[in-house]
Amino acid sequence: MSAILEVRDLRVRYSAGKEVLKGINFTVRSDDFLAIIGPSGSGKSTLIRCVNRLVEPNAGEILFEGRDLLRLGESEMRAARRNIGMIFQEFNLIERLSVIDNVLTGRLGYTGTWRSLFRAYTRDDIRNAIRLLDRVGLIEHLDKRADQLSGGQRQRVGIARALIQDPKMLLVDEPTSSLDPKIAREVMGLIREIAREFGVPVLCNIHDVNLALEYCTRVIGLQDGIKRFDGAPAEIDKRVLADIYAMETL
Amino acid sequence: MSTIAPAAVKPLPEWRRFRFPQSLYKYGAVLGAAGFIWWSLDFLRIDVERLPGILGRMFDVLSERYWPPQVSRVMESGYIEAVVDTFQMSYVATVVGILIAIPLAWFGSFNMTPSRRYLYPVARMIVMSCRSVHEMIWTILLVAIVGFGMLPGTLAMTMFCIGFSGKLLAEAIEAIRNGPVEAIRASGANELQVFVFAVLPQVRVAWTGIAIYTWDVVFRAATVVGFFGAGGMGHYLRESVQRVESQEVAAIVLSIILIVFAAELVSAWIRARISRAIA
Amino acid sequence: MRAGAADLTAYDLHADQISAWRNRSRRMRYGTYFMVAALIAWSVEAIVIGDTDWDRISWASMFKSARQFMDVDFSILGSLLTPAIETALMATLGTLLGLVLAVPVAWLGAANISPLGKSSYAFGRALMTMSRSVHELVWALIFVAAVGLGALAGVLAMGIRSIGFISKTVAEAIEDVNPGPVEAMRAVGANRFQVLLFGILPQVIPVFIGNVIFEWDVNIRRSTIMGLVGAGGLGLALHRQMSAYNYGGVATVLLVILLLIIAGEIASYLARRAVI
Repeated sequence: MSAILEVRDLRVRYSAGKEVLKGINFTVRSDDFLAIIGPSGSGKSTLIRCVNRLVEPNAGEILFEGRDLLRLGESEMRAARRNIGMIFQEFNLIERLSVIDNVLTGRLGYTGTWRSLFRAYTRDDIRNAIRLLDRVGLIEHLDKRADQLSGGQRQRVGIARALIQDPKMLLVDEPTSSLDPKIAREVMGLIREIAREFGVPVLCNIHDVNLALEYCTRVIGLQDGIKRFDGAPAEIDKRVLADIYAMETL
Repeated sequence: MSTIAPAAVKPLPEWRRFRFPQSLYKYGAVLGAAGFIWWSLDFLRIDVERLPGILGRMFDVLSERYWPPQVSRVMESGYIEAVVDTFQMSYVATVVGILIAIPLAWFGSFNMTPSRRYLYPVARMIVMSCRSVHEMIWTILLVAIVGFGMLPGTLAMTMFCIGFSGKLLAEAIEAIRNGPVEAIRASGANELQVFVFAVLPQVRVAWTGIAIYTWDVVFRAATVVGFFGAGGMGHYLRESVQRVESQEVAAIVLSIILIVFAAELVSAWIRARISRAIA
Repeated sequence: MRAGAADLTAYDLHADQISAWRNRSRRMRYGTYFMVAALIAWSVEAIVIGDTDWDRISWASMFKSARQFMDVDFSILGSLLTPAIETALMATLGTLLGLVLAVPVAWLGAANISPLGKSSYAFGRALMTMSRSVHELVWALIFVAAVGLGALAGVLAMGIRSIGFISKTVAEAIEDVNPGPVEAMRAVGANRFQVLLFGILPQVIPVFIGNVIFEWDVNIRRSTIMGLVGAGGLGLALHRQMSAYNYGGVATVLLVILLLIIAGEIASYLARRAVI
């Protein structure tokens, strides 16, 4: 399968001068469920945020469908973001809006400023939002306020919001860290099913190695801003993990 | 990719943001608000047709009649003395007002009041009634009783200060940690000792800030109490307003704005210094 | 712990530092007390001795003046209904104007979203200070001069005076919003305005509404004095009774003002409870 995302020599330096990513190269193919693992502070979260430029990299190239995202202007980048769905660790829902309104915010990139002021989404958008909420099992909670849901339910809203964008790729940032273990597995399962159903590749950073090995098709190991491993989950053994996690005890 | 998951067999619900009764309430509320504003403007005899372009006309009036300000008026020695008077009034009112407000804040803080049954409601009532009457009305009343001069102005602002700072001081007490209070109480201290040794140390920084901020607000009021015969710069303002000397009025208003602004800078500076010294 | 010679020296040094610091802070504290007291003495002297003519003021005269207010003149009560409604409406319209104007000022004055960075932030903050540091009576005088006598001047004065408090508190709320939803909105490709509308606005709405209600309550109080400089409402009635030396009438107006303020306090309490 072809590569949908190609990252070349990506470097990020925070203003304090510390280099967080020190030249990362990797590709995401259009059928990948790619996990990024590594100790905290290794730059996983920064890496994922570079892809849709929530964090501005200092150097490198990010080729998404062959186009370098780092060369895009502000409005072009916004248009590119519509094609990249994102799911967050803390769900990042808008708590005072209803569940369906939260899902519909996923369409903002397609909705004019004036229409969004009155939340006048198209009929198709609303129909899709309902379908997606049915798919993630929240059809009964349509009109509830987002802050009335449990953690697992909120993450399902987050998944529906990412999907309604009609994404060509999903970025997933620690989807399970705020959830208890049982719910975490449910959510990972749902993300995997949905990725297959919709045919979207997933780039996911995840703290829990066991979850990564179970659900992902490929793993990248990151340590201190440097890629230490890139391969199938089956190739990961004690030695590889010891290398990635260096001094951290497992 | 627009073919999103084949729909389940069951039909999906229709959804609208506002269904029948809510939609009615929503549009009713919007209409009601618009109607209320229109009715208010009518009741207040504000001519809606004259509102467009009002900014331009305001500018014209101010620039024709009030510009340039007659600076010589605020350079008179009498005016400068009045500025000093204003400072003195605000200073005494703040110090006396806060000295009165401190026990009221203690009695009127729900967590520390010695008696929730009697002292608490009484202290709250006093602070609230000082607060609910505007400082200019206090001024008018006290001028009528005591006569013209700085004394009624000072008294009026003392009342204002009690209301203003009493609430803030009490809120600071209500925000303290209860641990030290329990510790002091456990050692057998009486209520006054608890207040002095458990409450005061915790609120000292906040209270200092509140006191200086209160002075700042009281000073702002002090610049205008003279308008009603209670001494200070406001007296000059009234004179010029009554003689329709618009350019003098402009000069005085500008000088008040500048002086209040300077007072605010000074108070912010002192607050920053003290919080650094104490913390 | 064993205290060796070295430790002792370190301890002594430390104690010296502490006592030096204590002396200095004690000197500073007494210096402050002395200044506070000296300023008080100087000011009290000016107010109580220099400026007050004690020959003309006696307990009897003060009592006599106060006594005049006791004969409440209920005959004018009926004529106060219209000014009372005017006062409440002026406060309401003034608050509405203030809240409309406060939104752009808060946008300018919130460090994290200010459109042109530092310069627009400083401008926004300056507008807030300007609004708050001028007394409402001065604003009223300015607007009476600009648009003439009447309620409009009062509405404008309170509107301008309200910007400061509302926009300052809202700007502070904006500065510590949860960045998560903002990030999420940027990630879906929302433009700047949409990020404000969906990422930030829902989070600050409760603060905004709460403070608008609070400001409305305060504006009712301010509204009662607008008429003293010709901007309509109960203040005008008060002024008329004062100029006619009808102290009983003054007392009646004051009672109505008190009632209005209590009603406003109850209404704002109920409104705040309904919202929160």
